[in-house]
Amino acid sequence: MGTQMTKKPRGKSSAFMSLGHIALAGFAVMVVLPMLWAFVSSFKNNTEIFDHAFTWPAEFRWSNWIDAWNTAHIGTYFFNTVIVVFFGVAGTMLLGSMAAYVLARYEFRGNRFIYYAIIGGLGFPVFLGFGPLFKIVQMTGDVPVIGQFLGLNSYVSLVLVYIAYSLPFTVFFLASFFKTLPGSVAEAAMIDGCSHTRLFFRVMLPMAKPGLVGITIFNVIGQWNQYMFPTLLISDPDKWQLTQGIARISTNAGYEAKWGPLFAGICMAIIPMIFVYAFFQRQIQSGLTQGAVK
Amino acid sequence: MRHGRNPFIVGFLAAPVVLYVFFVILPYVEAFYYSFTNWRGFQKAEWVGLDNYKKMLDDDTFWKAVSHNGIILLLLPLAALVIALFFAFLLNVGGKAKAGVSQGVRGSKFYRLVFFFPQLLAVPIVAVLFQSVYRPDKSGVLNGILGWFGIEPVGWLIEPKIALLMLIAVMVWQAIGFYVVLFSAGMSSIPAEIYEAAELDGSSPATTFRRITLPLLWGNIQTAWVYLGVAAFDAFAIVDVLSNNQGGPDFSTTVLSEEIYKATSAGKYGYATTLGVALFFLTATFAVIAFTSTKRESVEY
Amino acid sequence: MSKTPDLPGEVSRRTVITRAAAIGAAIPAAGLLGACAGGGTEEKKSETGNTGDAKNPFGVKDGDPLEVVIFNGGYGEKYAKDIHEPMYKAAFPKSEIKHSAPTEISTTIQPRFAGGNPPDFLNNSGAKAIDIGSLVGDGQLLTLDKLWSAPSYDDPKKTVKDTLIPGTIESGEFDGKSVQLNYVFTVYGIWYNSALFSKNSWVAPKTWDETTALFDKIKAAGITPYAYAGANAAYYQFEVILSNAAKIGGAEVLKNIDNLEDGAWQVPAIKDSLEFWAGIGAKYMDKAHEGLKHTEVQLQQNQGKVAFYPSGSWLENEQAKETPADFKYAMTLVPSKGASDKIGFTGIHATAGEPYVIPAKAKNQAGALEYMRIMLSKKGANEFVKLNGSLTSVIGSSDGATLTPGTASAKTALDAAGKDVFTFHINDWYADMNTEMKAATNALMFGHQNVAQFVERVQKAADKLKKDSSIKKNKVK
Repeated sequence: MGTQMTKKPRGKSSAFMSLGHIALAGFAVMVVLPMLWAFVSSFKNNTEIFDHAFTWPAEFRWSNWIDAWNTAHIGTYFFNTVIVVFFGVAGTMLLGSMAAYVLARYEFRGNRFIYYAIIGGLGFPVFLGFGPLFKIVQMTGDVPVIGQFLGLNSYVSLVLVYIAYSLPFTVFFLASFFKTLPGSVAEAAMIDGCSHTRLFFRVMLPMAKPGLVGITIFNVIGQWNQYMFPTLLISDPDKWQLTQGIARISTNAGYEAKWGPLFAGICMAIIPMIFVYAFFQRQIQSGLTQGAVK
Repeated sequence: MRHGRNPFIVGFLAAPVVLYVFFVILPYVEAFYYSFTNWRGFQKAEWVGLDNYKKMLDDDTFWKAVSHNGIILLLLPLAALVIALFFAFLLNVGGKAKAGVSQGVRGSKFYRLVFFFPQLLAVPIVAVLFQSVYRPDKSGVLNGILGWFGIEPVGWLIEPKIALLMLIAVMVWQAIGFYVVLFSAGMSSIPAEIYEAAELDGSSPATTFRRITLPLLWGNIQTAWVYLGVAAFDAFAIVDVLSNNQGGPDFSTTVLSEEIYKATSAGKYGYATTLGVALFFLTATFAVIAFTSTKRESVEY
Repeated sequence: MSKTPDLPGEVSRRTVITRAAAIGAAIPAAGLLGACAGGGTEEKKSETGNTGDAKNPFGVKDGDPLEVVIFNGGYGEKYAKDIHEPMYKAAFPKSEIKHSAPTEISTTIQPRFAGGNPPDFLNNSGAKAIDIGSLVGDGQLLTLDKLWSAPSYDDPKKTVKDTLIPGTIESGEFDGKSVQLNYVFTVYGIWYNSALFSKNSWVAPKTWDETTALFDKIKAAGITPYAYAGANAAYYQFEVILSNAAKIGGAEVLKNIDNLEDGAWQVPAIKDSLEFWAGIGAKYMDKAHEGLKHTEVQLQQNQGKVAFYPSGSWLENEQAKETPADFKYAMTLVPSKGASDKIGFTGIHATAGEPYVIPAKAKNQAGALEYMRIMLSKKGANEFVKLNGSLTSVIGSSDGATLTPGTASAKTALDAAGKDVFTFHINDWYADMNTEMKAATNALMFGHQNVAQFVERVQKAADKLKKDSSIKKNKVK
């Protein structure tokens, strides 16, 4: 960007700024346009969808939306996803912060080994382990007593798998965060007779709040958009996640040519996320902000 | 205060480590084993030694896939970082200074909101959106726009020369928002006095950016580069859902992960895991180089 | 950690071929009407027992649940839910049927094979069918010999085998084992709108010369003469190329390809066919179609923007909901090169397709066999024809059914073909060949590569496959 405007002696050079404005506005259009287009398309029939891209629908066909809602059960999937992501993220944050904290602030033999083993997970191609993972999850269903809650088609299994696969990034992110917290506070607390566990929950965790918020958001988005694990582990349509539902309508469009309802379904998936995001935007961004600079 | 230290460490690490070993490490270890077998995805797996590895090195498609991963590794981080830095700079310090404090340009709140949207979309959704954007006739969004200027429709995803670039563009599109936020975070923590001083010295925005922002953000940029680099080795989702014929036309967009997936669906699990092992070593090599080379100084302020 | 939080890559897709990729295996070239002489390896009584009871030959226990997995594709799932499952339920009222109908079979069912708990009955079809070679190679499928030799549903004096169109059983043999029921009888051809054609007094061409002459007229009328969907239906076009080569050089051409004979792709018949169709691609096709899906191009044909579209006989039914009232599907055949052709114009590519299998580890094998026997009953097959407008492998299954114009024209073509029926298996047997052929076909038809390059790369892939000892080979006899 703009080395040509190097030695302008005053403030923001106007050429640079107008270039910047154009770029920002341009990218905003690039982001919004496909979504708006999908929204408009959700009212079109097939003929209109494959006509010129910017043809307006002849009428607002809400039937597409009703069709998507009824036949695609978007509402059910939405609710299923909320449950799984809630517990998945909660578990990830709890276990992830515990592991990150210990690995970041306690020296013991094997510390680095465990740390790098976990971080190494970042580089694993996920579906390399898919076949074996399926077998393992299936096996858990046969374990006495707890088996009935695990196995395939179980939210508990899915949540545990989400947690396990979210750990690498969470630990990576939080460990570097915990490292930066001042040691003096910890020492003072310990001298006051605070136990390690108490120190963690009462002192360190609150101090790490900004970082926690950031990585929480990260995990919410990641797990919300997860597709491969549910596909592998949840085959019961009543327990499907939202992405599975979308993929299903999308796949079916290849057979039944229901393009209008497909776009309606997509809007149903996008719109709530946008509202949630817009609502929490300040917390999210400040969380990421504080998390990121550490 | 040493008492209870060891039980505490064990207690805190036990649950996460068990979960991780059980659901992540174990499957991968098994997968490594399978790369030396002719496993078909069912029960029996016969040991075939290095056969799969020989076959892989002999396979043109494998090398094509690796080279595409290489191209993505070069372009994705570069494009995403440059654009995100530029935007973050505009949004944070691009505007007129108010009361001596640098501000973002007008509308920066709106932009911050909007730029993050692509992050919120699951890949199946991104796929549907961009299939519409790239559709090769006038019903595509891009070609519809070109049509206004009398330009013939372009086969965005079917011209072998540009298809991969088009896919990378989507990856960049999706990534930018996150890094804008990340860099904004870094920038907003750079003390305002530094910028004031720069402004008083008559430094242009470009110079300010080069002399101040960039060095102070170096740590963030390095982290971002590592993330994006690892993402470049994956790249599966977008290639799989968006490209013509899964990695086409004619293998011109295929990547390693896509080949793994295809081998898997063809029932060649043994060979698929071999490709997976190759991908693992490539990613790991990159990650080690990236981590060690970025370990050095990060500027203190 | 990908660039963003969607950590692991995700597979969603709507890359969906309608029926395309996995339409069952096929009949040995002469098999169809050449009365499959011999073939009677009857009676291997085995553990599940052939009770000899014509009502319940496999000894199904009423009360044992049955899990049925149907591919939710061109034929939908209604036929299973409304026809066959109620018939089963009527016979075994205490048995519960667990029905599911995914669109991506391998994604949902392959892991279950791996885990040793497959469903009892599986319609292994669609673009994401599980590779049949792997299933057979790994001993994952039950052989169906017991089914063929069982008394038929309607007439205890006849075996199930006697009720099938000859060649059906052979079409489901892999590695010498009969493991697959191919239920739907599929005929391949090139489809057009007969209403549009009679309006313009166009006649479907029988020779290459007529083809180009007509295409010129169609093009002049502002209609794209010929199309196929490159994004997910390249299979349809290599079907055309191979069918045309078979007409020129005889069914031997296809047999040599299937058997991976040296130089099978380098023969003149293949080259001629490729040359002709590459010419059609260069002159009469829309470049944009390389990036469009089957349903998208079909919509264009329905709208009168495309004249000819190659596909199988499921097409009309699949499009039924979208087809405008003034659109009448009709099917013609691949045109002849000339008088020196080994097979005349009426020669047809037809085969039993739409595969159904029973896993070797199925819990209720007897129930699954009985379910198949019900599908092959007069009522089961006839209702299927009525519902889906497609022919089945059961003799006379279309009797009394009113056929739609497209199915009727397919049936007429099949009857006219007599013994000139051929098919090929290469893409079904070997996933790698399928991938390579699809890629090469698109490259050829949309002008990225020439005929010589096509022949070279596909022959190379075949040679490589032949040398690869890890892949089980099948043979056409």
